[in-house]
Amino acid sequence: MRTIHFSLIAIIPAMLLLSCSKKDATTTTTTTDSTTTTVTTTSTATTDCSSAANTTAKVVCLAEAFEATLSSSQLSSLITSYSSTYAIRWSNLPCGINCRNGLQYSSLSSTQLAAAKAIVVAASGTAANEGYDEITQIMAADDVLNTAGGGSGYGSGIYFIAFVGTPSTTGTWQLQFGGHHLAVNITFSGGAVTGATPHFEGIEPKSWTSGSTTYAPLAQEQAAMLAMLSSLSTSELASAQLSTKFSDVLLGPNEDGQFPTTKSGIAVSSLTTAQQALVLAAMKPWVNDADSATAASLLSTYSSELSSTYIAYSGNATLATNADYVRIDGPSVWIEFVCQTGVVYPSQIHYHSVYRDHKRDYGNNFTF
Amino acid sequence: MRYYFLLLICCVCALGAMAHPMPNSVILLDIKSNGVAAEVQLPQSELELALGHKVALDPALRAYLLAHIHPQSLEGKPWKVQIKELHIQPAEQTATGPYNEVTATLWMEPAGGTSVRNFSLHYDAIIAEVSSHKALVSVRQDWERGNYGEQVVEVGVIKLDVKSSTIEPLIVSKEQGSLWWGCRSMVVLGMQHIAEGTDHLLFLLVLLLPAPLLVKQQRWDGYGGTRYSLLRLLQIVTAFTVGHSITLLAGASGWLRLPGQPVEVLIAVSILVSAVHALRPLFPGREAWVAAGFGLIHGLAFAGTLANLQLDATRMGLSILGFNVGIELMQLIVILLVMPWLIWLSRIPAYKYVRVAGAVLAGVAATVWITERI
Repeated sequence: MRTIHFSLIAIIPAMLLLSCSKKDATTTTTTTDSTTTTVTTTSTATTDCSSAANTTAKVVCLAEAFEATLSSSQLSSLITSYSSTYAIRWSNLPCGINCRNGLQYSSLSSTQLAAAKAIVVAASGTAANEGYDEITQIMAADDVLNTAGGGSGYGSGIYFIAFVGTPSTTGTWQLQFGGHHLAVNITFSGGAVTGATPHFEGIEPKSWTSGSTTYAPLAQEQAAMLAMLSSLSTSELASAQLSTKFSDVLLGPNEDGQFPTTKSGIAVSSLTTAQQALVLAAMKPWVNDADSATAASLLSTYSSELSSTYIAYSGNATLATNADYVRIDGPSVWIEFVCQTGVVYPSQIHYHSVYRDHKRDYGNNFTF
Repeated sequence: MRYYFLLLICCVCALGAMAHPMPNSVILLDIKSNGVAAEVQLPQSELELALGHKVALDPALRAYLLAHIHPQSLEGKPWKVQIKELHIQPAEQTATGPYNEVTATLWMEPAGGTSVRNFSLHYDAIIAEVSSHKALVSVRQDWERGNYGEQVVEVGVIKLDVKSSTIEPLIVSKEQGSLWWGCRSMVVLGMQHIAEGTDHLLFLLVLLLPAPLLVKQQRWDGYGGTRYSLLRLLQIVTAFTVGHSITLLAGASGWLRLPGQPVEVLIAVSILVSAVHALRPLFPGREAWVAAGFGLIHGLAFAGTLANLQLDATRMGLSILGFNVGIELMQLIVILLVMPWLIWLSRIPAYKYVRVAGAVLAGVAATVWITERI
């Protein structure tokens, strides 16, 4: 029975679209209003932050400068209370604000955006293709997906910044930044970085060229894992191989604290010094996404725990086709890297990867 | 119908909202009186990864599925599982991008008449081999709880518990329902059907428009009196009810099956005919027969809604009863609202314009529907 609804069929989506665009419009207006009044504050604040004593002090200083550029309604979207509900609300999917906290980049004025970016820069590593450089490339890949027919759900403007808890150099709070294929969660407590994880990074397409530059932000991750697996002998590979397959990472969003009770694969302690060095080197592309002081400290922990660390893989050890999967699981470190059939580029593979820390996810402030 | 919009709204919301995890398996359960029918949707890419080879709808696949689907009573008594159908078809999950999926239609039945409403589903198809895979389980139809298949109620997710490296069974536990509950929801469905089914209402209203009037020289003339009007209104409504009840019964019980499209077209034609009749009397005095005749067609459309539920005889009987009661109730409400106005307005000369305007509007709507439905 077709009913009057044939007309409604046309009206309802239109209304939905209208309501969406209306919301965006409102946000933009408020943004512009507050920008004009706070420009001076921002510039002063930025200057001050360069003399901050450490990463936390600098990030907090920049966070406060960003806050000063925002309207009260933007502030209430940006900052939530410090609780596990908000802390774990992140995703690798292009599900926008439906699965994230905070303010969307595309809703910010240029002054606000610059202030927001400065925070993420200060909280991230500085190596090429890691840290902030990697973040910008993952975001740029979303623009590539958008123009390659992926649709409006992809784009570098659909990334979100949020503070779980109020930034301070004394209290506990978490910086969240992320969008499609990216989730940065950094926990600060008492003036120090207490957690650089969970951290999700993925990329599609895994490499692309724009102008004369080729981008492949996760190539170092793939290469380091490949070098580690390639160093294994046939019998070592056999022990490292998992009995099941993986078409995605196991411990993605909402899988907090779900580390396997028993570690699988081959014990790093059974490997040669050279092989062990490759295991440590394979962690670096993830660990180096954190600021350099934090990265150095984490790496020395992971190094000291190498003897109790396991590595495992599934699919092919070449990490080149769908469901090729590799994992590093230590007393602290947990890294998964997987090749998956592309979504917008189905003839290519793309990468998903998650970096967690058994003892330091969310600064170890929650039990799951 | 209304549910198409809900679906549509969901789609619009989902666009740009959700995208591409690897697609999940989906298990839709229909709780019947003596067993549970299940539709299991398996993404082809994930199934092939699990099997390690291309999917073919062959005995090996049936064996694989039967080896991985074990419903059992809460006391641990295994149910019987049969694979009724196996298909492969294109699908899409909230913008995962298009992909193919294998759909298995299963019949799962407890031994010795134990409850179909409480069981544990030991299921690990794909998940046993692909650790990252998940199966989302929902109840699609639970007639005794008033869920006739339009709203899917999520039960849970079957996946690998990474911590323990086990795949836990999912406990499906639906609260007790009743025949009364099921029948009552059918009354509501019948009422909704008329309230939202503009075409049925329009047909009836347009047929009633000239009912209070007398015919003179093949044209509609003045008011025929209260008794005359009431009698004619009652005749028409009763005839329509008798007509659609006959085919609703025949269609829903499966004695009579007509494809939906010609029925929909004929319904639109019935409106056009009664619209013309409201302008110039085509069949004066025989409105009741026409109402009964077209009632037969409208009943077929009503029946389509019920026939799709695939219920056993008792539940189908109660559904027809409840659904028809709902239709008549709603019809009665509309008639009671309209009748006083009709009788009052038809006394005044200006009623001519009301009648003509109503007939023209209905005629236009009917023409649009006819062209749309052909």
